[in-house]
Amino acid sequence: MLGLLLPFAAALAAAGDEPRVAPDPTAVSPGVELWDAVRERQPFDAGQVRTQPPGGERGVLINVGGEAWRQFRMQELIPVAARVLGGVAIAILLFRLLRGKIPIRAGRSGEKIRRFSGFQRLVHWTVAVLFVLLALSGLVMLFGRYFIIPWLGSEFGGALTYWLKRIHDFSGPVFGVALLVMIITFMKGNFPALYDLKWVFKAGGMLGGHAPAGRYNAGEKGWYWLAAGVGMVVVVSGLVLDFPNLGGFDRDAMAWYHRLHSIGAVAIMAVSMGHIYMGTVAMEGAFECMATGYCDSNWAREHHDRWYAAITDEKSPSDTATGLVEPAPEPSAATRQQAG
Amino acid sequence: MARMKFYCDAERCIECNACVTACKNENEVPMGVNRRRVVTIRDGEPGERSLSVACMHCSDAPCQAVCPVDCFITTPDGVVLHNKDTCIGCGYCFYACPFGAPQFPLDGQFSTRGKMDKCTFCNGGPETADNSPDEIRKYGRNRLAEGKLPLCAEMCSTKALLAGDAGVIADIYRKRVVNRGANAYLASGSLQKGAFEALQTPPQPE
Ligand code: HEM
Ligand code: SF4
Ligand code: SF4
Repeated sequence: MLGLLLPFAAALAAAGDEPRVAPDPTAVSPGVELWDAVRERQPFDAGQVRTQPPGGERGVLINVGGEAWRQFRMQELIPVAARVLGGVAIAILLFRLLRGKIPIRAGRSGEKIRRFSGFQRLVHWTVAVLFVLLALSGLVMLFGRYFIIPWLGSEFGGALTYWLKRIHDFSGPVFGVALLVMIITFMKGNFPALYDLKWVFKAGGMLGGHAPAGRYNAGEKGWYWLAAGVGMVVVVSGLVLDFPNLGGFDRDAMAWYHRLHSIGAVAIMAVSMGHIYMGTVAMEGAFECMATGYCDSNWAREHHDRWYAAITDEKSPSDTATGLVEPAPEPSAATRQQAG
Repeated sequence: MARMKFYCDAERCIECNACVTACKNENEVPMGVNRRRVVTIRDGEPGERSLSVACMHCSDAPCQAVCPVDCFITTPDGVVLHNKDTCIGCGYCFYACPFGAPQFPLDGQFSTRGKMDKCTFCNGGPETADNSPDEIRKYGRNRLAEGKLPLCAEMCSTKALLAGDAGVIADIYRKRVVNRGANAYLASGSLQKGAFEALQTPPQPE
């Protein structure tokens, strides 16, 4: 452009024809202001913006937050989620290979203790089934492009993802209600106690030694409060994402709710893997609690000593171990202490 | 091979909305969707400018990058096409797009989104059968297959909106800019003064 203008400049200079207005080299082209306004650069003043089509944000020429959201989802969320979820899976596998199944050391007593009511189990399994549906469909939205679409093709893979998203859309609000009921029905026994600190320092008995626990151990309590707190964040943000045409949230707000939703969902899914592993194959005698509502008394004694003591009026082994309580005179106390 | 581009000249657009109307009509665009729209900024003030905006058929398209089902293809002409059969209506392309091009018809049940709809550069969909009834129903007319350019730009009375091969568009626009600069210089800043003050600075010989 400069080159093309030069002949004009030369011609003018030759004619000795000075411009009437002294050129101001510092003058800012209004074109610059126009594009600053369009790109929402500071300082900008787009004045009154008008456009004919109705609907939110049609007056926005450039969506400034879009690129940040793209970076978040593609460069952060997806790689980090893959590492976190994969890392937890590998950790569980290693733990299993190193430590094997956690047995009831004293063997089953055959004596059953009531642990969960029928209603509690109904609530737990409702939440669990919906959670698994939400997690699987959510994971397909998150990672499906890398395996479902290349594997099943865009036609079938797309239709499958579409139906999984519908399942996600519809089970989400139901999950929200079920989660609320669960938070209420499981609150008793989930408040932290001082001995939970000891459980945490002993890593729940993973480092050997006995870790004291009430009705729920510190790990379960942590899971309860995480599921309650982060779960509600995921539910509320999910509801916003579920009804894009109702809430009046704009694009940036939706993208922020998506951030909350996906980060919360990945956190819950990661911890849930540990919970599911513990509750099913990791520990002898754990699954039957939620399946039948009853646990074996020796299981309760070994894993929930405080609770067992409270309901049977027996002194718990960890009390004797810490010297808080006189050791029980029965000969079994010593073996139990080791077993714990 | 062409590299298709739109360009809207803010110094020419007169906000007549003919492009918007042409697009809606030619492509039978669904309710609630405007594939093209004209935005005026500084309305009624000095420096008022209008721009007609639609999908810009990005080279490294954000919509394409974020789509969970890999809905998009870029044709050899550089047109970004979207597959409505695969789309799950998640709205991610709408969050990521710089230009607000992806929009959603208001027909999703329970207020969820329907299948995304956006400008096709009048190139239909990814279907192989050009201008089949199916393609027309889903995406509108495939003018490129008929050797024609997008109707919005073809309609534009001031030729503010240009569509076509990037090289050709760039040449046309470059000529306009040079002419405007020369005019501004010759008139010593008096011509359309507000718009071109920066060009009062005489070019320095290199
Ligand atoms: C705790 C269980 C849940 C998990 C593990 C979960 C997980 C996910 C994941 C991973 C995504 C995909 C994010 C992405 O691809 O970037 C997603 C999207 C979504 N979730 Fe959830 N979610 C859960 C609960 C919910 C609930 C309770 C609702 C509704 C009330 C909900 C509504 C949605 C919606 C609508 C989307 C699609 C995003 C959109 O349309 O913008 N989710 N979820
Ligand atoms: S929809 Fe948006 S992001 Fe995608 S190609 Fe068009 S302008 Fe670019
Ligand atoms: S709305 Fe459709 S095209 Fe857009 S990102 Fe979601 S699936 Fe892809």
